[in-house]
Order: sequence, then C-alpha cells, then structure tokens
Amino acid sequence: MSDRRVIFENVSKFYGEVLGVNRVSLSIPPGITGLVGPNGSGKTTLMNLMVGLLQPSRGSIRVLGIPTDRPEELFRHVGYATQYDGYPPGFTGYQFIASYLRVHGLPADEVEKLTWKAIERVGLTEAAGRKVAGYSKGMRQRIKLAQAIAAQPSVLVLDEPLNGLDPMARAEVIALFRELADGGLHVIVSSHILHEVDLISDQVVLLNGGYVVAEGAISGVRDEMEEEHPAQVLIRCSRPSLLASRVFEQDSVVEARIHDDGKSVLVRTRDADRFFLLLNQVVLDNDLGVEAVMPTDDNVHAVYQYLIVGNGEKP
Amino acid sequence: MSEMVTQSVSTRSAARSYPWSHWRRQVLAIVRLELRKSFGRRAIGLYLLGLLPVALPILLLVSVQIRGARGEVADLASWYAKLFQGFNLHFAIFLGCVTVFGSLMRREVLDRTLHYYFLTPVRRELVVVAKYLTGLVVTVIVFGLSTFTTFVLTYLAQPSDQVFLLRGPGIGHLAAYLMVTALACVGYGAMFLVFSFFFRSPIVPALLLFGWEWLHPFLPPVLKQLSIIHYLQPLCPVPIPEGPLAILSDAPSPWLAIPGLLLLSALLVAISAWRARKMEISYEED
Repeated sequence: MSDRRVIFENVSKFYGEVLGVNRVSLSIPPGITGLVGPNGSGKTTLMNLMVGLLQPSRGSIRVLGIPTDRPEELFRHVGYATQYDGYPPGFTGYQFIASYLRVHGLPADEVEKLTWKAIERVGLTEAAGRKVAGYSKGMRQRIKLAQAIAAQPSVLVLDEPLNGLDPMARAEVIALFRELADGGLHVIVSSHILHEVDLISDQVVLLNGGYVVAEGAISGVRDEMEEEHPAQVLIRCSRPSLLASRVFEQDSVVEARIHDDGKSVLVRTRDADRFFLLLNQVVLDNDLGVEAVMPTDDNVHAVYQYLIVGNGEKP
Repeated sequence: MSEMVTQSVSTRSAARSYPWSHWRRQVLAIVRLELRKSFGRRAIGLYLLGLLPVALPILLLVSVQIRGARGEVADLASWYAKLFQGFNLHFAIFLGCVTVFGSLMRREVLDRTLHYYFLTPVRRELVVVAKYLTGLVVTVIVFGLSTFTTFVLTYLAQPSDQVFLLRGPGIGHLAAYLMVTALACVGYGAMFLVFSFFFRSPIVPALLLFGWEWLHPFLPPVLKQLSIIHYLQPLCPVPIPEGPLAILSDAPSPWLAIPGLLLLSALLVAISAWRARKMEISYEED
C-alpha cells in the first residue's frame, strides 16, 4: 500500500540555521493534492524534497517506495514542473521536450511520439516550432507542464502551475489535472490561489512557517476544527426566527443569528452532522420553506483563514 | 493510463537489461545538447583565446614578407616551442579550460537550468561525464585548430621551412603538439571541473593554479609532480630552456606522463561525479 503513496516520515530540512520544513509526516495518496500556504511556508522546499533536488536534514522520503536520492529510478515515475523558466537557449517547444526525453534514454521514434503527445495535451501544437524564449508566460507554463507529463509519469509535482494562464487555459489545465488524477496519478500542485485549490484538490496540505498545520480532504480537515472553530451554515428559509429559536435546542449550536436581509439564519455549530439532522426535523415539524442551505466556511479559504491568517477569526 | 504503465515498464526494463547501451544513449543525448549550447555567441571568449596564439605566427609571416628573412628567429623549431609552451599551454589553453570547464555546472546553476538534467532518470555521474566529454570536444576542437594553424603558419613563412613541415620531421612535431594540446585539455579540464564543485567562483583557484604552473621550473622535484605542466612538457618535441634559476629534475617518461595524467584526470572527474551525486538545488524557497 505504501508503494502507491508519497511518504514523508518526520522530515526536516534546514538551510544552515534557517528552517525550511520541520517534522513533516505525510502520506499522500493518488489524486490531486493541493499544497497551500503563504510565501515562505515551505511549499517549494517540500516539493524539492519530494523530487530529490534537496535531501532532508532529518527523516526519510519515499515516492512510490523509491528513496529520493536515486534520481535514475525516481524520475522514471515522477515529472516535476518548477516555478522557474529555465530553458536551454535557442530551443523551440518541440526541441525542449524532445531533448528532455532523449536524456531519458528513449529511442528516437518514441521520443517523437511522446513529444507530440505531450505538446498536444497542453494545446501547444501550433507553437511547437517557435522558440520557447518567445513564448508568453501562459505558453511557458504549458510547455513546462508538457515537459512534466512527457515521459508519462505516475507522480506529477507542479509548482504554481496555474500562474500566468488565462481563464480558458486555466480551465483546460485543470481539466487535464482531473483527467490525470482520475487515471490514478498523483498530481501534487502548489498554489496560493485558494479557490482554485479548493476546486481541484481531492486533499490539501496546509503549510505555515515550515510546519504542516493540516492535511487531508478539506471536509475532514474542517470537521476536525469544529470544536475550536464551529462550522457556519447559512439557511435561507420562510421563517428564520422560528428556525433560530428551535436550533438552540441543540447544545452544540453556539450561535444562531438572523442575517441582515431578514430572510436567513446564520448558525454556528460544533457538530455539523447532528445539526443537519436537527434541521431536517425542524423543517418537517414546522413545515418550513427552505430556499437554500449553504455551509459558508467548509472550504480551503476558511480553513486557511482559521489556521494561518487570523487564528480564531471568522473568515 | 495502461499506455503509461507500458511505457514506464519498457523504459525500466530497457535500463535494467542493457545499462551500458542505455547509459550511452543518455550520455550522447546530453553531449548533443551541451554541444549545441557550447558553440555560438556564448563561446566568443573561447574563440578569441584560440585565435590569440595565431596572431604571433601571422606577425612572423608578415615580417618575413617585408624583410625577406626571419631575422632574429633563426631556430624556428625553438621559436615555436617557446610560443607553444609559453603562450598556448600556459595561457590560452589554460584560460580556455577555465572558461569552458569552470562553467559547465556553474553556469547551469546561475541560469537555473541544471534541473533540466537533474529531473530526468539519468545518473548524475553520467551528467558530469557527459558534460566533461562535451568540454573536451569543444576545447580540443578550438585549441587543436589553434595549434594546427599556428604551427602551419609558422612554417609557411619560407620555402625552406615548408620542406621541414612537409617532408621533414614537421608532421611528427605537429602530431606531438596536437597530442599535448589534447592532454592539456584533459588535465586542466578535469581540474577546473572539480574546482567548480568546490568553489562558488573558479577564478580564485584558477589564479592560484595559474601561479603554481608558472612557478613549476622553480619548484622542488616533489612539488613539480603536483603540476599538470610537469607531465605535458616532456611530451613536447622540442624542449625549451627554463632559465638559470630553474631547479633541475628528471622529467617523467611519456609512458608515465600520459597514463599518469589520464589517471589523475579520471580521479578528478570521479570526485566531481561524487559531488554531483550529493548536490542539492535550492530554487527560490517558498
């Protein structure tokens, strides 16, 4: 089972006296994993450790069971797109990918086939003959993505891959991530755009100051925080006052407030599951007309706000 | 996905069944890439270093054309030996190797392009070997051509000298100088490659080695053995006087000098490969 995962065991990385990441233990399953955290939180360090560009000061890392200090094995399974636009000078998009695959030691016919396949997947077929140096930021992002997927890896590590993409390209790239993840790949993506991470990730790893502050599926992470940060649910219904008074019957509800529009109730509860059962009951008992039930802080943005930005503040 | 698995497996099994042919393909791919990067505008400094030694025989040629005789340059073989050992070896080839081998890895770190290799399933040792081979090809081509041109131009000046070149021992001398040029690239190249792994800038160690190589005639016999020039000089066809203050010592025989230099270079490349294996790339930390 561990051979299908990316595993960090008590990993620390220090640059001299400066902390990179500290005591990180993770077990990342296939699917899309979002790495989230402010600048300097350790996202890139974590990714560089994952692909062996850095070696841990302490602890151990295995990617699909392979130690990261064996690049000749690791990169048969891993593709990495860095934040950096580092290209051999004068290369066209095609040459950039093809040379990369040749260094893999693949025969010429396979290099050509895989190069075109990767270029087509990121929608750069028409620009493949142009020099990478003349590409727009979005095109450079896509050619890096093509490089990362070209050798058809099982683990894709992508550092801020959506930066610089226009909305259309962004949607296409996100769809590609989904397709790859549905095919059983690990797609590990760092981003500081929270709603995008929320949209695409099956699980998230939240980092702050070199520490992992939360990991797992967003809903699971949110559930674990309910004691300290009660879940917020906005219910738009026909009789908000009645609903507000009834939900207080449950001891886990800590607040029920009529919203400014007078048509909604904002409820804060330490046990969302029990609350939803109660809500069903109240609606049935009182024949309430419910227009909408919306959890307002069951997302990465809220978790990020609670854990990292303003500890304890409402998002 | 099934295609992906097939691909992964085929690459993996190829690498396991035929490691040498797989490694050879990888090394050739890197050399091909590196050669592409090595020539062109980036190599202007190297071309100039290769052209510099050519200027002196051209001056000699012009002087002979104007004056009708070589004048003070009576013994052309000695004149060329001094030019080759004093200028080509000590200066042009030395600096050329600093430029090429000192930047093989360093330039990639500065350009942030090293990950292009480090993110592929290639042994880092092979990356170093491939880069070293590329450096050798580049320097041997540039300085081999430079040595060839300076030698031929030197003996083109007068018809009597052309006889030496074409029907006398000239061809043998030329072959020996070309061999020394290649060996100098091998030795200095390996030295500057290893420096680039241990020093942020190769300039300081290069200057120290430059001084050390110039001091070679005045070093005690034991220390002489620690310089590259010690193994190259006896391979040159015409010896040059080292001056009254030089400390005499037995020059190594070619049978010792050539394998010794090659072994030393192999050791230095092995140290570089070991360093590359341990090397970390720290991109902008986030």
